[in-house]
Amino acid sequence: MTILVRLDRWKQQGAISPEQHAYLSGLCRGEPFSLFLELNILLYAGVLAFVAGLGWTVTTWSQQLGDVLVIAVLSAILAACFWYCFSRAPAWSFAETPAPTAIFDYVLYLGSLVWCVELAYLENRFHLLSGQWSFYLLATAVLFFFLAYRFDNRFVLSLALSSLAGWCGLTISHWPSHQDATYRRCALLYCLLVGVGGELLERRALKPHFFGTYLNIVANVLFWALLSGVFNRQGYGIWLLALVIACGVSLAWGLTRRQFVFVAYSAVYGYVGVSSILIRDINDDTFILGYFVISAVAMLVTLILIARRFGRTA
Amino acid sequence: MRLYSTSSEETLRARKLLADWAAEGLLSKAQYERLEQETVSELRTTNIFLRLILFLFTLLCVAATAGLFFKVFVSRSPDQTTGIFLLIFAVVCYVATEAAASQAHLYRHGIEEALAVCSVAFFCLGMQLAVFSGRPYSPKPDVVQCVMPAAGVVFSLWIWRRFGLWYAFLAAMVFALFLPGYWTSSHWAQHAIVALLYALGLVCVIAARSGEHREDDYAGVEALLWLGIYLAMNLQLSSLNTRAQWLGVGTTPASEFPRSFYWTTWVLVWCLPGVVLARGIRRKHRLVIASGAIVAILTFVTNKPYLGWPRHTWDPMLLGILLTGTALFIRRWLVRGPGEIRRGFTAARLSGRDKNWMHVGSAALGLVTPQSITPAAQAKSAAFRFGGGSTGGGGAGGDF
Repeated sequence: MTILVRLDRWKQQGAISPEQHAYLSGLCRGEPFSLFLELNILLYAGVLAFVAGLGWTVTTWSQQLGDVLVIAVLSAILAACFWYCFSRAPAWSFAETPAPTAIFDYVLYLGSLVWCVELAYLENRFHLLSGQWSFYLLATAVLFFFLAYRFDNRFVLSLALSSLAGWCGLTISHWPSHQDATYRRCALLYCLLVGVGGELLERRALKPHFFGTYLNIVANVLFWALLSGVFNRQGYGIWLLALVIACGVSLAWGLTRRQFVFVAYSAVYGYVGVSSILIRDINDDTFILGYFVISAVAMLVTLILIARRFGRTA
Repeated sequence: MRLYSTSSEETLRARKLLADWAAEGLLSKAQYERLEQETVSELRTTNIFLRLILFLFTLLCVAATAGLFFKVFVSRSPDQTTGIFLLIFAVVCYVATEAAASQAHLYRHGIEEALAVCSVAFFCLGMQLAVFSGRPYSPKPDVVQCVMPAAGVVFSLWIWRRFGLWYAFLAAMVFALFLPGYWTSSHWAQHAIVALLYALGLVCVIAARSGEHREDDYAGVEALLWLGIYLAMNLQLSSLNTRAQWLGVGTTPASEFPRSFYWTTWVLVWCLPGVVLARGIRRKHRLVIASGAIVAILTFVTNKPYLGWPRHTWDPMLLGILLTGTALFIRRWLVRGPGEIRRGFTAARLSGRDKNWMHVGSAALGLVTPQSITPAAQAKSAAFRFGGGSTGGGGAGGDF
């Protein structure tokens, strides 16, 4: 029985109204056919190609074009983008606000990327901060957080979070004895900062729909940091314990909130971490293969039980 | 031939649509709960994340089991014996796939998919080892050896038809790529044969397409075939020396192929995007439209190298303006129609899934893009200068 036949039957049974029937039948037949996604992808690809070409042109022809022209053009694009966004933005709201125009998000994204290009040019050319790139990244992160919250834009929020991560990493790389342990601590600090920040903002109902982005980034960074500790030859016990706890929390969160990506995180990261400990000093191929057979079967059984309980309705 | 019944798949499709409509507010909660009761299918499906990890662990389990078996029982056996055991493993995996799908009613569940993938992999590897190991290497094409990729094509196509896994069809296309290499050493003939094979597949798919419920499956396969034909024809992308040529070293495709063939492919590369887009729009198939858009962009990107013209740093900017302009023009044209609809198309969002895709995509792409756009840490070398090709580009400028 096709969906159209079902819709006819539901209409006859009175389960749906004639208006609903007409609309839903049209959707099923592709009448009208929405090009929403395709047009958005085209806009995104267009912005990305434009900024890539802009960066390439500035890099290659900066001498011939001259500083004044390069900076004037970049500043003009930047000003135009931000003028467009600020002049058309709706009044700010705590809640999710739709973009006022179809191209609004992409103009903001273009402005944000041009900001990065201009900043790179200024520092490379004039050494304003004497090569202190970490300050640029921090300033960029602050600006992008502001823009993301002002204009309710996930693109720019992700740019802000990655700029902040870049700032953390770059700051450490300037330290004389930067090592994995330092990076790990910094990653944990980043997780704490972003996680707590995201949680506080969600509790205050300040763009709560951004919380998922925060959580996914925090989870991945945290698991990578913990795994890197587990892979250490010495002092890995505490990291293993932390990994197990993190996996438990992620699993519980995923199941209670029905966000199954967190179940996947806990399964994959947890399996990799625990397996690396169990087979790290074993050279017997038969034992290792046997371990993978038994552990994979155990994981499958556990996951099937989870899938049986939650999968169908997810 | 298809293992799953039409009604079961239709019921699942109806269930997903109901969830989508309820999320969009097109159905009330009470309506959704009532109608959901009528769309209960015996097929067991799961969400995408559990599906992925079930796939991963099944793959690991099967690979480790096979590895353990060979380690314990046949570690010192000749290749032919190993090949025969691999063929047995392929049969076992296939039987397990059938059982998982027909007895346990698993549908896009990860487990049966991984078993099907393993059966194809074991089958091809087993064929190669059992039949062709020990044969002396010959630089000349050997028609007999094409049996392995041919068997891979047939088996993958069977898996696709039986279980409806689109990536099995993609695997068949990849196996088909290797066939002409066994028949001829001529590069242009290899390209032509691959394109012909894909075109033949396209004709079969279009002819076989019937009924509404599997229209989406066929549309996906059709999109893959159009993309395959295009890639086989675009010598700037599929030439053996593509990488070297794009890096500015090595021979160009123009000198690698006969002149007439080269320019014929150039004409085809310009014709195909229009054909694919027209077909996708006429049939209203999202994946075929996407395929048409991709080949259109690739045509613009590869046209200059095709003609032997130099690239310019501002070419991506022009492409970006073209893409953005096209999107804005189409959108404006659609919005000005009565009810924002023209010829059955609209720029408005009608599905909640589109919104979800946009949210996931924007968050993920926002994280990826800055790696290529934001400035890298400044080089510590005093000799470093902006310009002069030091940071990329063609090295057209000197120092400040």
